[in-house]
Amino acid sequence: MPSNPSMAGALVGAAESDEIGYIEAGKTSMMLHIEAIRNVAAQTGIKISDIEGIASPGNANQIAEYLGIHPKWTDTTSVGGCSFQLHVHKALAAINSGILDVAVVSHGETGYSQRKNQGKGTGRARGGDPWAPDAQFSAPYGVAGAPSNYSHALTRHMHQWGSTKQDFAQIAVTTRDWATLNPRAVMHSKETHPNGGPITIDDVLNSRVISWPLNLLDCCLVTDHGGAVVVASAEVANSLATKPVWIAGAGENMSHANMLEMGDFTATSAKASGETAYRMAGMGPEDMEMAMIYDSFTVTAGITAEMLGLTPRGEGPSLWANGNAGPGGKFPVNTNGGGLSFSHSGMYGMMLLIEAYRQLSGTAEDAVHGLPGKQTDAKSCILNGTGGSLSHTGTLVLVAD
Amino acid sequence: MADYNKPIPDPDPYVTQPFWDGAKAGKLMLPRCTSCNRVHFYPRMICPHCHSSSIEWFEASGEGYVHTFAVQHRAFGGWADEVPFVTAYIDLKEGDRMFTVLRGVDAQNPETIKVGSKVKVEFEPATDEVHIPFWRVVE
Repeated sequence: MPSNPSMAGALVGAAESDEIGYIEAGKTSMMLHIEAIRNVAAQTGIKISDIEGIASPGNANQIAEYLGIHPKWTDTTSVGGCSFQLHVHKALAAINSGILDVAVVSHGETGYSQRKNQGKGTGRARGGDPWAPDAQFSAPYGVAGAPSNYSHALTRHMHQWGSTKQDFAQIAVTTRDWATLNPRAVMHSKETHPNGGPITIDDVLNSRVISWPLNLLDCCLVTDHGGAVVVASAEVANSLATKPVWIAGAGENMSHANMLEMGDFTATSAKASGETAYRMAGMGPEDMEMAMIYDSFTVTAGITAEMLGLTPRGEGPSLWANGNAGPGGKFPVNTNGGGLSFSHSGMYGMMLLIEAYRQLSGTAEDAVHGLPGKQTDAKSCILNGTGGSLSHTGTLVLVAD
Repeated sequence: MADYNKPIPDPDPYVTQPFWDGAKAGKLMLPRCTSCNRVHFYPRMICPHCHSSSIEWFEASGEGYVHTFAVQHRAFGGWADEVPFVTAYIDLKEGDRMFTVLRGVDAQNPETIKVGSKVKVEFEPATDEVHIPFWRVVE
């Protein structure tokens, strides 16, 4: 009889690359990976040579080779921005099986630098398959990346549930409020970005239309980011100086790969992955004290709130209403400033993990530059990553000691 | 046709060719499972509903309804010249969905475009061999 992996492992460290955001001098994906891994090794005291397993979307083997290590466990699962949640899920299972004690999940992505680098140094294979279904039946119709797809979900949500653009704009406004407390957020202030600092619902509605009904401020940033977290067995976690953040629950699911196959445009597989994670944890939405929710777009976050049982169906944006999800609110959400206002390199899932680790370990940045700080007193967090075209999800229930 | 400047589908000769052969002849050909009788799209060699491998092709009505839509204000290549334009997912009368650039609508006024609108298919020759289906609002 297999044992429940709940609490078999913990996040024991989380670090970023030396620089994040708009790196004007330019970096490659591998540089961001290596900086982040170096930093998380220093933070946890785990030597790079002691890393037993490594996970990263698409290229874990390349990173291991670059580091000159020979891990006994690799996971190159690459299903978009939630890949890192899936890596943690699979690492937890491997730890629970006794396969390894220490795995590093790594991220390095040059959403911003790749323009300067002319598309080189991304760590990705280029080009797609012309015979793939999306190439034959979607690409001929002018879709241009994620916003041009996700907008269809918001139109359907408004039609099916009577929601409005204003409802979803509130998500961007509240998320920006958190960014004003995070000096590392791209949109922290006028000093970090000409359009930084607080915004209003009207600012969102009046920003440039990207793919109606999504305006510019409904959409995430495009930045550089490197990050790494260490997943360790309970025995190792209890031996380190850093505080463990326990993985009480984990789940993954997918509803489709191509948006052509999305059955209900107002629902995602986060319902299934969330239920799996809650069940493993023996906890429910009512036990959660904060949330980290993938916000590639306002619509992504709003729908996910419904799927995770944090609001009734059709009322996802209500989670952000009346300041409830903002600084000082009763249920903090996306305390780093989110993909909307902190940073988003293309695959945001690592940033969810890092912020959740910081919040639950009491190491979130605070009182910097005289600001009131973003550290909350939450001891539990529901965390969900979404990848692809609202396709794949990974959910974690994290708890502090 | 010679000046068609947008992405042109590359039919795979193993599974999807009957769809593109139909399009060239001005017909919307769809795959249907002879075991569960359900239509699926995109075309496959196995029914995604019941996993039977008995798939037949039939000529569909070419009618459907707008399931949801968006107005694209940013695009690449040949489509960049067309912004704003409307994209939509179409519920096919016979079942399942297709994606399209929607015709017969006012992209400048998205509020006038209705989910549920009735649409019909039409085909635009991109090359001699590849004719691309587009859907047009007819009511």
